[in-house]
Amino acid sequence: MDLFLLQLLTGLAGASTLFLVAAGLTVIFGVTRVVNFAHGSLFMLGAYIAWSILSRLPRSPEYFVLGLLAAALATAAIGAVMELALLRRIYRAPEMLQLLATFGVVLVVQDAALWLWGPVDLAVSRPPWLRGAITVAGLRFPFYDAVLIAVGPLVLGLLLLLFHRTRWGLLVRAATADRDMVAALGVDQRWLFTSVFALGAGLAGLGGALSMPQGSANLHMDLAVIVDAFVVVVVGGMGSLSGAFLAALLIGVLQAFGIVLLPKITLVLVFLVMAAVLVLRPHGLLGKPQAESRAEAETLAPIRPAPAILRRLGLAALLLAIAAPFLAGPYLLTVLTEAAIAVLFAASLHVMMGPGGMASFGHAAWFGIGAYAAAFTAQGLGTSMAVGLLLAPLCAGAVALAVGGLVVRMSGVYLAMLTLAFAQIAWAIAFQWVELTGGDNGVLGVWPDPWAANPRTLYWLALALCLGATLLLRRLLYAPFGYALRATRDSPLRAAAIGLPLPRLRLAAFAIAGAAAGLAGAVFAYAKGSVFPTYMAIPHSVDALVTVLLGGVQTIAGPIVGAVAYTVLQSWLLTSEFWRIKLGLLILLLVLAFPAGIAGATHAAWLRWRGRSA
Amino acid sequence: MLTVENLHAGYGRARILRGVSFALAPGEVLVLLGRNGAGKSTTMKALVGLLPATGRIRLAGTDIARWPPHRIARLGLGWVPEERRIFPDLTVAETLEVGRRPARDGRPPWTPDRLFTLFPNLGPLRDRPGGRISGGEQQMLAIARTLMGNPRLLLLDEPSEGLAPVIVDQMQAAILALKAEGVTILLAEQNLPFAARVADRAVILETGAIVWNGTMSALMNNPPARARHLQV
Repeated sequence: MDLFLLQLLTGLAGASTLFLVAAGLTVIFGVTRVVNFAHGSLFMLGAYIAWSILSRLPRSPEYFVLGLLAAALATAAIGAVMELALLRRIYRAPEMLQLLATFGVVLVVQDAALWLWGPVDLAVSRPPWLRGAITVAGLRFPFYDAVLIAVGPLVLGLLLLLFHRTRWGLLVRAATADRDMVAALGVDQRWLFTSVFALGAGLAGLGGALSMPQGSANLHMDLAVIVDAFVVVVVGGMGSLSGAFLAALLIGVLQAFGIVLLPKITLVLVFLVMAAVLVLRPHGLLGKPQAESRAEAETLAPIRPAPAILRRLGLAALLLAIAAPFLAGPYLLTVLTEAAIAVLFAASLHVMMGPGGMASFGHAAWFGIGAYAAAFTAQGLGTSMAVGLLLAPLCAGAVALAVGGLVVRMSGVYLAMLTLAFAQIAWAIAFQWVELTGGDNGVLGVWPDPWAANPRTLYWLALALCLGATLLLRRLLYAPFGYALRATRDSPLRAAAIGLPLPRLRLAAFAIAGAAAGLAGAVFAYAKGSVFPTYMAIPHSVDALVTVLLGGVQTIAGPIVGAVAYTVLQSWLLTSEFWRIKLGLLILLLVLAFPAGIAGATHAAWLRWRGRSA
Repeated sequence: MLTVENLHAGYGRARILRGVSFALAPGEVLVLLGRNGAGKSTTMKALVGLLPATGRIRLAGTDIARWPPHRIARLGLGWVPEERRIFPDLTVAETLEVGRRPARDGRPPWTPDRLFTLFPNLGPLRDRPGGRISGGEQQMLAIARTLMGNPRLLLLDEPSEGLAPVIVDQMQAAILALKAEGVTILLAEQNLPFAARVADRAVILETGAIVWNGTMSALMNNPPARARHLQV
């Protein structure tokens, strides 16, 4: 019983920082409809800035509080700059582009923090007055945890007052419902959005600063906290402050007990709770159905079969690819094998995102499941590679079918966050279930059958499988299934009204995309000879997204062009120091300057050139 | 008050308005008539800056073409959208507060109390969320919300649409009361009898261009024009 109470209090203390981050995220989302992936980075910056300030100040209570507030204010200022420089330009962009752009910020901030504060974890030793303990029901409980427990409800109360008792809060609530209408009533949305973003960033910064005396500032806290904050916001209901508070308590307490009782599956447990809540209440505990976004959306140009010149170019590229082993050295051949796999991986995501209109931020899960399926067939069953290559897409497709059944009804950002959450579960299982997967050491010795062991043969095999599957996916888009799928994307209501089975179509696309990514993963496993949890980690999902966007979402050739370009780019980027900041800036450049991608921009240029010459 | 010259606007690649020109004098009520899809709502959205448009739009002597919506609203263009666009979670009193802007010189500012006199139905609903009042009450609230900004010119997009006859009568009385106060109004309507009772002049739009233009009484005395441009 005593342990129970103590764990409960610890959980409540953790819930407070979680609430601060989630509150900022949910407030920003409510008004701007942007899911700020960089919110964890703001939390991290808050912690680092707090370290910089607190380690220079006298260690008395008043300076401690002032230091925390200064860190929160500094983070708010950083948030305002981020809004002015980046978000303001992409409010009307598709959700995935916004999510990706803020992920670019994540990468930039990671390297900036590495450069500014170095790779070592930084801790603030607790001042003596904070080290004490209070006695609760005969138990000694850390004083600082008690402070944290009080901070959560206090901040919630202040925020509710701010939103319900001030004109600023009133305007924010009105803009949450209908921002264009608020503008037409004479309210300058720009400063409203900037101030909301600064407030959200300040809350994240305060959360980071408050977490300092308990732990340390480190370079991994950004992604760790953002995943938890996503879960809290989704469970609480997007845009709902009170919902975020309830969900933070639920998740915080769950984590506190999970660590004691079931340390292995804490992560999984959290996501299972989230899945359960969403099945019962699809909009979260206190969320409301999302009002349709009032922004006038760009109409998408229909996709067309490739013109003759493009077909000829494609054929030439294919012939060149087949002849490559005779022309290229072993290193280039490895890069080309990876490029072929990247093409299929990107094409599978493209089916979901482009024609399917379903945002996915966890596509690496299917890739990883395919890779592990191949690894287990090679190691556990000891059967030939052909079985592995067959089982991998089947496994990935089957899991995608099961997960998709749960999530395809969700729209937009919910789907993006749920796919991310599932990928994190898959990653956590691979990482924590050491007996089965070898954990971080991975599964080694996944070698292809002797007949394919030669790098050339392996390359041709990869090329045949990946390009073959990619062409099949492409063919699918011109089949009735593809037309129906695009109809459900462009107008779900009208598609349903003419009798298209919406959830089933989307589920089929989801499962097909999963299976194709699984095949890519299996080929990758055999090509590399080993499988690691990182195959399923967030950065790998982002790789797929960047590839698709680099090529262009609304073009069929996009994923192919993008995969080749990105593989080449990566082999250059990853070898350099501070590659994150370069990749981050590349993502930002892509989102801001070439939202249509390479293929899209080329297509537009081609149209202009033809228009002029005609 | 308002001069529109050669206005072009549309959604994406679809061009809806093809060179619309008209003018409104202070205190006048002008009605835009036309069948579904003729471009009435598009004209209004272009005027308030929510749709990219080309052409000249002068409000009270200032060219407002390509201005952002909030600046156009602050200069005195008040828009009541066809869909009403009520904030469902805000109470009636809060909704009016969102619309509040400083008074414009020479005129008494609109206050919630004055608006509750204009729309007696709204008074008792002060603390009711906008999402929980009837369609007619929402229409009144939408007009009241815009009036709180003390507009020089009021744009009313189909205020009688989908309302019960008794509410339409109240709406008519309210518009005539506003007219008596000297408020300039641009009205879009499909309900010709309603328009005939409140408007001074009429402009008929057909596929994005003006096909008829004259006084309301001239239109009512010209059955062939009505038949040609308005009959469905």
